[in-house]
Amino acid sequence: MDFLNILNGTILTPLVFAAGLCFMPARKWLAIRWLAILGAFITVVLSGLAFAWFNINDPGFQFVNRVTWVESLDMSWHVGADGISVVMVLLTGIVGFAATLVSWDITSRQKEFYVLLLIMIAGAMGMFASLDIFFIYFFHELALIPTFLMIGIWGSGKREYAAMKTTLYLSAGAFVALIGLIALYLALPAADRTFNLPTLLDYARQHPLAANVQRFIYPFLLFGLGTLVSLVPFHTWAPIGYACAPTATAMFHAGVLKKFGLYALIRIALPLLPVGAHDWNGVLLVLLLCNIVYGGLVAMRQKDFNYLLGYSSVAHMGFAFLGIASFTFIGLTGAVLVMFAHGIMAALAFGLSGYFFAQTGTREIKELGGLCRPLPFVGTLLVMTAFASVGLPGFANFPGELMVLFGAWQAPGWHAKIGAATVSWPVLLALWGGAVIGAVYMLRAIRNICFGPTPAKWQSLVDANIFARVPYVFLLVVLIWVGCYPKPLVEAIKPATGQIITAIEKAMPAVAPKR
Amino acid sequence: MEDVSGLLWRVLAGPLSAAVVIWLLCHKSKFYTDFGPIMERQAAAFIAIGFLAGSSLFGYWAFGAVRDGAQMENRVLYEFLSAGDLMVEINWSLDRLSGLMMMVVCGVSLCIMVYSIGYMHDDPGISRFFAKLSFFVFSMLGIVLAGNFLMMFIFWELVGVSSYLLIGYWYERPSAADAGKKAFIVNRLGDFGFLIGILMLWGITGEVDFVRVKNQLAAHPVDANLLAVATVLIFCGAVGKSAQFPLHVWLPDAMEGPTPVSALIHAATMVAAGVYMLCRVSFLVFGSPVAMEIIAWTGGITALMAALIATQQNDIKRILAYSTLSQLGYMVMAVGLSNPAGSGYMPAMFHLSTHAFFKALLFLSAGSVIIALHHSEQDIWKMGGLLKKMPITAGCFAVGALALCGFPFMSGFYSKEAILGLAYDHNPRLYLLATVTAGLTAFYMFRCFFVAFFGNTRGEHAEKAKESSWVVLGPLVVLAVASICGGWFGIPEWLVENKAISAEHAPRAVMIAALAAFTIGVGAAAFLYARGATTDALNKLPVLSWVLRNKFFIEEIYMVLVKAGQGTLAWLCGFVDRWIIAGLAVRGLAATTRGTGQVLRLFQTGNVQTYALWFAAGATIILYCLVR
Repeated sequence: MDFLNILNGTILTPLVFAAGLCFMPARKWLAIRWLAILGAFITVVLSGLAFAWFNINDPGFQFVNRVTWVESLDMSWHVGADGISVVMVLLTGIVGFAATLVSWDITSRQKEFYVLLLIMIAGAMGMFASLDIFFIYFFHELALIPTFLMIGIWGSGKREYAAMKTTLYLSAGAFVALIGLIALYLALPAADRTFNLPTLLDYARQHPLAANVQRFIYPFLLFGLGTLVSLVPFHTWAPIGYACAPTATAMFHAGVLKKFGLYALIRIALPLLPVGAHDWNGVLLVLLLCNIVYGGLVAMRQKDFNYLLGYSSVAHMGFAFLGIASFTFIGLTGAVLVMFAHGIMAALAFGLSGYFFAQTGTREIKELGGLCRPLPFVGTLLVMTAFASVGLPGFANFPGELMVLFGAWQAPGWHAKIGAATVSWPVLLALWGGAVIGAVYMLRAIRNICFGPTPAKWQSLVDANIFARVPYVFLLVVLIWVGCYPKPLVEAIKPATGQIITAIEKAMPAVAPKR
Repeated sequence: MEDVSGLLWRVLAGPLSAAVVIWLLCHKSKFYTDFGPIMERQAAAFIAIGFLAGSSLFGYWAFGAVRDGAQMENRVLYEFLSAGDLMVEINWSLDRLSGLMMMVVCGVSLCIMVYSIGYMHDDPGISRFFAKLSFFVFSMLGIVLAGNFLMMFIFWELVGVSSYLLIGYWYERPSAADAGKKAFIVNRLGDFGFLIGILMLWGITGEVDFVRVKNQLAAHPVDANLLAVATVLIFCGAVGKSAQFPLHVWLPDAMEGPTPVSALIHAATMVAAGVYMLCRVSFLVFGSPVAMEIIAWTGGITALMAALIATQQNDIKRILAYSTLSQLGYMVMAVGLSNPAGSGYMPAMFHLSTHAFFKALLFLSAGSVIIALHHSEQDIWKMGGLLKKMPITAGCFAVGALALCGFPFMSGFYSKEAILGLAYDHNPRLYLLATVTAGLTAFYMFRCFFVAFFGNTRGEHAEKAKESSWVVLGPLVVLAVASICGGWFGIPEWLVENKAISAEHAPRAVMIAALAAFTIGVGAAAFLYARGATTDALNKLPVLSWVLRNKFFIEEIYMVLVKAGQGTLAWLCGFVDRWIIAGLAVRGLAATTRGTGQVLRLFQTGNVQTYALWFAAGATIILYCLVR
């Protein structure tokens, strides 16, 4: 009964529920909603169990289940998790549950909406839990397609344009990444070609690919996957996509799906193509600093709150990239922690913004104001989310970004001599972007949305009731828990990132990063 | 040795639990209606004060253990995170320095919380107020007890955010909301340097723990210039939090918060955190003379500049705010002038402690005046004659002012004398500056006192003023006693165990000069303002008063710089993103695709003749290629 595996459970539960919902009559939308919530709840419990049962002393893949599918191509249903995956699975479960809960505002075609949402959750689970490159890619596409449909059908504003733009960008990004993956597959000797990730990693450790091949393949993965993570200049889909998407979609996409590019970079590109990654690091460094500083500056100019959040997430992704580009153990571990923390924070921010939108019908920052008076609960939570976003200690983003900065400070070759001291200039810029620019645009938005006198038209808004509060409180508790005690997560991530860094060190003794 | 580590988390847990309990339970909900009408309004206050009192008891217990010689450093509460060379713990440092600071914070906070019951009596959001105030005390105690740089940074930021929340307590007032935002962002600028400094120090030593960094530096001496740079960067944190020039601009605006907040956070404790932090890392500061020079001058310039500005302010709270700036400058200067072999950081900490008492007293007295004027008048020129109407408040204000100006045998006299003595020994120019500042201090404080409390009443609110209730006056009297006796408690002896050093006094010349400065300042104020003046006599010096009233135009300069720098940059980036990346590049790509489609469509007309034409053209080209 190998198939009764907790990771299979996290993937199949939402799929089973989605399939079940298809057979429900569409008019029983309340029952459909509760069933969907049940499915998401079971999923989050399973993902929590996976995290709890995860053995942090075992650096290999755990909960492995493998069923051969296409023997000739060495393709198989293959799940398993190391520390990075298990943290992302946990993130998917949490955000998926919260996104299902906040969808009170969906009033048409509820059945289709929840089916798509559950498919998204299943796809995200699959892409983080799979160990077969084919399935990793397949599940990512499975999660992505509902996004486009949901923006197009239940979105707001320029939703058709937004759906089209996101589709084009994300499909193009995924396609470029696919070219890279195929090139990677073909670069292996015919006898050793496989989709099996652990085998590939072992193989690459013993027979590294030729440096020029790595240098050729890596940019496909970097820019393809980078587009999915809104790496500047391939980022413009993110703000408009999130501005027009329905709340649950924005939460889930910004929170979880967006992390796929980073995950695949860490999981596939870094260990298999360390030389390529190293040679392209200069380009990545410039782009990620653009993410942080330029993204933050553009966020200052936004008039629509969701656009601002979109650009803010562009800036935060820069931090995750910085951790990856640092090539250090601390930085890479921090990058994974940032992925988790930002996932929760972005979901909370878009969820709350969705509540404001449902109440006021506008996201124009100038139109809003003084909303803490009529909406004390939601307003307070938005203020706290803003604090999380500016990296205030006590929220999960702080330890993540702190580790990234410390890791980046260690990165060899980034130090410039200024007088008697040497200063890591990427850290200077990143900290400026994260701590100062981030504070300016976030607090300005909070000042204009939550504080100040309340316009007469917003006096009668209704604060969230007890049911509506559950998802927000849930996300906030996770954010604070990790912020005050990040050690369990860090300890889970460490063995996995340690292995990747060891692999890089072995592949390139000349540029061996410090540990 | 008694294990006191178990006490310390209890000290922190008190105010934190108070904040959480109030936040979760004290709503406008039905929860308190069962307790009757008084409980409903004041429950939050009782919770906050009760928990804080408990904490203070634990704190006093730990204080006693320190007195009995229990040196407990770096007991780890829990490990925050660790990876590679980075190891962050939540651990304590408890010694004479943190013990003193803990007692000051607990004592002043208790007084101010009791006072707040009276001051905030009619405010509908009183529970929110006490929750935030408790959270502030928690964060402040966290700074005091922090055992490593990152833990200090964590609580440093938390203190910043509680300050932001409390300045913007009346968030519906645009000015309050703006002031909170400004305070947070300006503090962030300082923290930017602070964190870079921590990173640099970690790069040098591989540690973030105070004791381990100290040992590392002792075992492996590093380049003095490198250390100086790291120290100055860490000092940036203090420049932000203690509002030193050039990051002082947020503190006067912070007076938008309720007066108890101004007293506790923006006078007595939080703004002193920068000075405390410098004392905590004195092993770094004292190791680099260059950094000490920079610190001393920063403090000195702040002290003089703020005192000058204070002479021309009219809002009673703003006068006190600039006075706070000036006194913080004194303390920072004292750190920079310290004699590591002698009294060490004692003068700075001594002045910090006495200042906490008399500045809290002054703010609370001002608050009492504001209560009497129905929270609607803070301009001293619209007060006047309050001495007769509220004698106890006036007396307390006078005690505070005298202590601040260093009137003999009051607390400020001893602590200021210690600083002036240091300056006299180490840096004559700064000594001159400090003495002039002392004179200015006496001048602006007594200007404020004479204008507000002497003469005839000059406003309708002042007409109807009457003495405040005992819940307000009680804390005033306690603080007044502390302000008078603060110099006699033996704070120098507590900090410097060597009796010969702690008993040292400044040379007689210094004392005489300080007394002369005091007399001149008070005399000038009395001459200009004590005889019932109704307008400011300094208005006759138009340029001077114009410049001072506008605070040397520093804020205006910053506004222009921010607009020109950050604003333009953001505008440029927004433009590029909208019109170049999203516009030209993306739309251009889309347009090219569409255009290509349009052109290609011409080939697919569905018309047989067209196809035949294209077929013929293609065949011709192929034939041509073959034949050629």
